[in-house]
Amino acid sequence: MNVPVDPKTLVAEMSPVSTSEQIATMKKALLKNIQRSAYVYRVDCGGCNGCEIEIFSSITPVFDAERFGIKVVASPRHADILLFTGAVTRSMRMPALRAYEAAPDPKIVVSYGACGCTGGIFHDLYCVWGGTDNIVPVDVYIPGCPPTPAATIHGFAVALGLLEQKLKAETHVEAAGETAALPHPDIPYALRVRLEREARRMAGYRQGRDIAEEFMALLEGHAHTPGSFSLSERMLEAIGEERDPRRAEIIGRLAEVVQQAIRGETP
Amino acid sequence: MLKLLKEIFRTGEATVKYPFAPMPVCKDFRGKPEHKAEDCIACAACTVACPANAIQMETDTAAGSRTWSINYGRCVFCGRCEESCPTGAIRLSDDFELAVGSKADLTRKAVFTLADCACCGKPFAPAKEVDYVARLLSQSARSAEEADRLRLTAATCPACKRAQDVHHIAGMGIARQMEAGLSKTGKPAKELETTP
Repeated sequence: MNVPVDPKTLVAEMSPVSTSEQIATMKKALLKNIQRSAYVYRVDCGGCNGCEIEIFSSITPVFDAERFGIKVVASPRHADILLFTGAVTRSMRMPALRAYEAAPDPKIVVSYGACGCTGGIFHDLYCVWGGTDNIVPVDVYIPGCPPTPAATIHGFAVALGLLEQKLKAETHVEAAGETAALPHPDIPYALRVRLEREARRMAGYRQGRDIAEEFMALLEGHAHTPGSFSLSERMLEAIGEERDPRRAEIIGRLAEVVQQAIRGETP
Repeated sequence: MLKLLKEIFRTGEATVKYPFAPMPVCKDFRGKPEHKAEDCIACAACTVACPANAIQMETDTAAGSRTWSINYGRCVFCGRCEESCPTGAIRLSDDFELAVGSKADLTRKAVFTLADCACCGKPFAPAKEVDYVARLLSQSARSAEEADRLRLTAATCPACKRAQDVHHIAGMGIARQMEAGLSKTGKPAKELETTP
């Protein structure tokens, strides 16, 4: 008998931790008038350690978070800021809650990395809680996979109320008669596809597209300003100007593709 | 001592000025995916490519709309959306300052309208996508007639196209198969007559 089981019945749902009003006002007072170092305790809730590496690189002399008094401590009992990394696996839930309870009030909880914010790429895995905010109340989210040290410093500045957050929720609604522009309308579609495919074959998806775009801009420039130059001379000039031999080779190959198309040859 | 001081002056300051001065990022840095909704045709290529399901689409045929949404909190900055985008509407920018206080600020949405099928009148695809495909096809059409025909094909839903194809093929096949059936058994096959 295969009776479908509702997975929610198998999990003991526990009420999320709530903060009292008194603690909320204490936290506000702390943020308004923090005149000392902010100690950070790092709670690893089952991450891949990429976030930890970035945290440690943000306290190195290059980024030097300690010049703002942000110091990583070894015990949650010393901490003002709790930094939760990882997607909160089942087995790390209790240790994470114990660390949260051990930190003295008022405490600031920062959710670090894509996994900490929403569960990231592991959001629908059977063994994770999918984000820090499912177990403790979170004050600041720092997304990134992993966040760069500069993003970490920005996140701490937002957590301590020194900087304003830049991101805002936005909804774009399609306007009446809105149309997407056709790329390179002067170049035949078949040729455009061949150029993009060849460039992407040689340089990879992203760089290939960039090179193909540049090349097609060159082609269109030729079409709009017919000067004394012939097309092949113009191509040779573009190849000659290119410093990077790999790019020069790709542009040379694209020029060949154009010549083939002009001669009517199929690849 | 003097040697040490000399060394210190030679090295200079290693710490970056970051929060007080903008942080320069390297070329091809993969930061926040910037979505230009004006160029987007809501084709869902990025939705399929996104490994973390940060980009999602919901189609509401009753309201005739398709909602595109990205959750920056779930994004792993791999750049697959940028690679798969046919119009270049989504591109990874240099922006890395994504920290927010509330989770709702991490999402961005774009609402697109659905086009009705030219045949059955039911909504089937985003109007911008249909328009884009029609223009792309008519760009490579040889005559104005062919362009009109291609535009009509692009504006027809897959179900209607299939029905038309079946009708067309069945119409072609009956005459041919009736000949074959008559020659073998002397009477036409029954089921062929019921095909639409």
